[in-house]
Amino acid sequence: MRSLTLHLKILIAILVVLGISVTCYQIFVLGIPVTEDATDDLWNIDAKVEFVANPKDPVKIQMFVPPLSRDFVSLNESFISNNYGVSVNRTDGNRKVTWSARRAKGNQTLYYRLVLTKRYSGEKIKVKGPTFRDSIAVEGPEKIAAEALLAPIRQHSADVETFITEAIKRTNNLSDDNVKLLLAGDPSTAHKAKIVELLLSIAHVPVEKVHTIRLVADQPQSPELWLRSFNGSDWLYFNPETGEQGLPADRLLWWTGDENLITVDGGKKALVTFSLNNSEMNAIRLAKLTDENTDANFLEYSLYGLPLQTQQTFMIMVMIPIGVLVILILRNLIGLQTLGTFTPVLIALAFRETQLGFGIVLFTIITALGLSLRSYLEHLKLQMLPRLSVVLTFVVVLIAAISLFSHKLGLERGLSVALFPMVILTMTIERLSITWEERGANHALKVAIGTLFAASLAHIIMSVPELIYFVFTFPAILLILVGFMLAMGRYRGYRLTELVRFKAFLKADQ
Amino acid sequence: MFGFWKTWKALEARGIMGINRRNADYVLKYNKRSLYPLVDDKIITKERALAAGLHVPQMYGVISTEKGIDKLDEIIGGRSDFVIKPAQGAGGDGILVVADRFEGRYRTVSGKIISHEEIEHQISSILTGLYSLGGHRDRALIEYRVVPDQIFKSISYEGVPDIRIIVLMGYPVMAMLRLPTRQSGGKANLHQGAIGVGVDLATGLTLRGTWLNSIITKHPDTTNAVDGVQLPNWDGFMKLAAGCYELCGLGYIGVDMVLDQEKGPLILELNARPGLNIQIANDCGLTLRTHAVEARLETLKAAGVTETPEERVRFAQEMFGHIAAFAG
Repeated sequence: MRSLTLHLKILIAILVVLGISVTCYQIFVLGIPVTEDATDDLWNIDAKVEFVANPKDPVKIQMFVPPLSRDFVSLNESFISNNYGVSVNRTDGNRKVTWSARRAKGNQTLYYRLVLTKRYSGEKIKVKGPTFRDSIAVEGPEKIAAEALLAPIRQHSADVETFITEAIKRTNNLSDDNVKLLLAGDPSTAHKAKIVELLLSIAHVPVEKVHTIRLVADQPQSPELWLRSFNGSDWLYFNPETGEQGLPADRLLWWTGDENLITVDGGKKALVTFSLNNSEMNAIRLAKLTDENTDANFLEYSLYGLPLQTQQTFMIMVMIPIGVLVILILRNLIGLQTLGTFTPVLIALAFRETQLGFGIVLFTIITALGLSLRSYLEHLKLQMLPRLSVVLTFVVVLIAAISLFSHKLGLERGLSVALFPMVILTMTIERLSITWEERGANHALKVAIGTLFAASLAHIIMSVPELIYFVFTFPAILLILVGFMLAMGRYRGYRLTELVRFKAFLKADQ
Repeated sequence: MFGFWKTWKALEARGIMGINRRNADYVLKYNKRSLYPLVDDKIITKERALAAGLHVPQMYGVISTEKGIDKLDEIIGGRSDFVIKPAQGAGGDGILVVADRFEGRYRTVSGKIISHEEIEHQISSILTGLYSLGGHRDRALIEYRVVPDQIFKSISYEGVPDIRIIVLMGYPVMAMLRLPTRQSGGKANLHQGAIGVGVDLATGLTLRGTWLNSIITKHPDTTNAVDGVQLPNWDGFMKLAAGCYELCGLGYIGVDMVLDQEKGPLILELNARPGLNIQIANDCGLTLRTHAVEARLETLKAAGVTETPEERVRFAQEMFGHIAAFAG
């Protein structure tokens, strides 16, 4: 016996730990929202391309679009363009869209729209990059200036990272004569970046230009230039103005390299304007959308992986254990008497369709009429099976009649009576009438009310939307439930009603 | 809430057994599921009891098919009184007690005159499983009608009073006399309104009674005192009950017995899930006594001894008997 208890304890512990850890994994590692109301940021990025087409030439516009390899997940991407052919191709880690048309005239406007989110980007992919490059050839005074600059940089740096930071800082020191010479009167960020690249190339440190967009709503902006270098395992990002390292989280990488954002053949005055806005979206819907749009299959092995129709069925099914738990507590802890064990759960399921108040009324009417028929049949002394068949048929007729009446009366809700499980009703009537005969009307009434109460409570709890969402999303909760049920299987304490039942003892004491 | 907790503690201190404890610690622990048919089917119980030499009401015959109903006359023979029972009935339902014949008809014990067809219908209902647990097909048992001892005349209303003894591993633990009332319709089941009266295990003297969960000392129909009655042949009851463990192998049972005018104590049936109201009737919790028996079993097991039914009865009587509190 003792070993059984130990066995049971271990089993319960395993189930509970398993249930909790799977749920925690889902919540904390996969980041699945705990409530249905949780929302996530959703970014809407519009790039508007305007240009004037030359009247006679064919038009070809090439523009970089975000490669979206890391940190962000594209949910929807669209190229809005009248009469233009669209193609997207990847080159060197960049993505480029090409719009082309044989004939175009006057002002042209094209749109690129991207909807993305930061969450659920799954595992980071291994990145690759160059760690060595050839020097850019320079001659004459530039060469001397560059070498003069490099000497102190070497002295003040310890590794690639600090070397780059130091190089950027030196380049931004506009009072330095060597810098002045190299900049040649053009202190724009792009030019500075070019000088940094040159300096680094002499030291064989590869560096790459990165053009980013800042995820900030309702602010006009143009791509911001960053530099990045590969340190063997990851990309390091540097601000070419300050030398500060690390790309802020709100930057979206748009393209890399020296090329311009847009190139237009057969047109002029090309202009790209970015506009961003963000919206919030229901987190779990977002997760589902993300799943469809990426390879991140973190919802694949959850119930969300099922077809929608089946999902709805399961939303009901996963709640049945909760209903059963309610009955278990009501019966074994409180001591409420119900008809049958799971009859209340089945009635509770029927209440889903009929609504609670209406369901109770319909249930009471059918059971009462069924009971009167049953007591009449008692006089006829029929055998059990034929008698049950008669009651069942009567229940069907009754359901049909109620449906018809309520339809004629315009009470469409009444039609839902057809969803009451007939067999359950019949068995309820049969059991109730036997209880009535064996133990009197009082007891039968008590049991009937207990059953209805249990069913109502189970129904109310089973239809809490937050609970449905939670159990459906984290089905491992059911393991914890099983653990509790197992523990209940060895519960020896009193039931609440027993405290009342055995009150006689205490009276005698006083 | 606090009140409930206090009640809880008080009940626990007195060793009152609740349903959950009964099920978890006794029924599930001591009663093997495979042995249930022995007590669920009264015919099997009867056969086993006969084989073990325990007294039961004589069985006249068994009807197990619709066709077999035709043989009813043959089974009854010339007897004028008999009882028809469902073999797997529960709660005393479906029992027909015929006390006499009356011009080709039968008179039940309550004085109702019924025809032969009605009896046949009753048997047919029994066979279809109307009264059986779970509605399975059943058999009808026709047996000797017990005539209760005269001693019960003054404290019972119709029907047959019976004696229920709870037996744990062959040790009688608690006893109760169940007296039918007008409300219980001659049935001896407490939840139907019968009275339960505690019985001193050592002497067979009745203690006070319980009726519908409250404590009483007088029979509500006859207004005679139910306490202080000496049950005849008490040791016979105790031995019968103790012997039932060997009969069925179930460790925790309620043995229902009757006292026949001529044949003395007879086993009626065994119950694998005896009720808990017996505690109210005896004003004593079952848990204290069952723990004493379990402790005894431990010591005996350590010593490698097993006791005979007589020894077990003696132990129980010494341990749980001689309650003096209710002399007044």
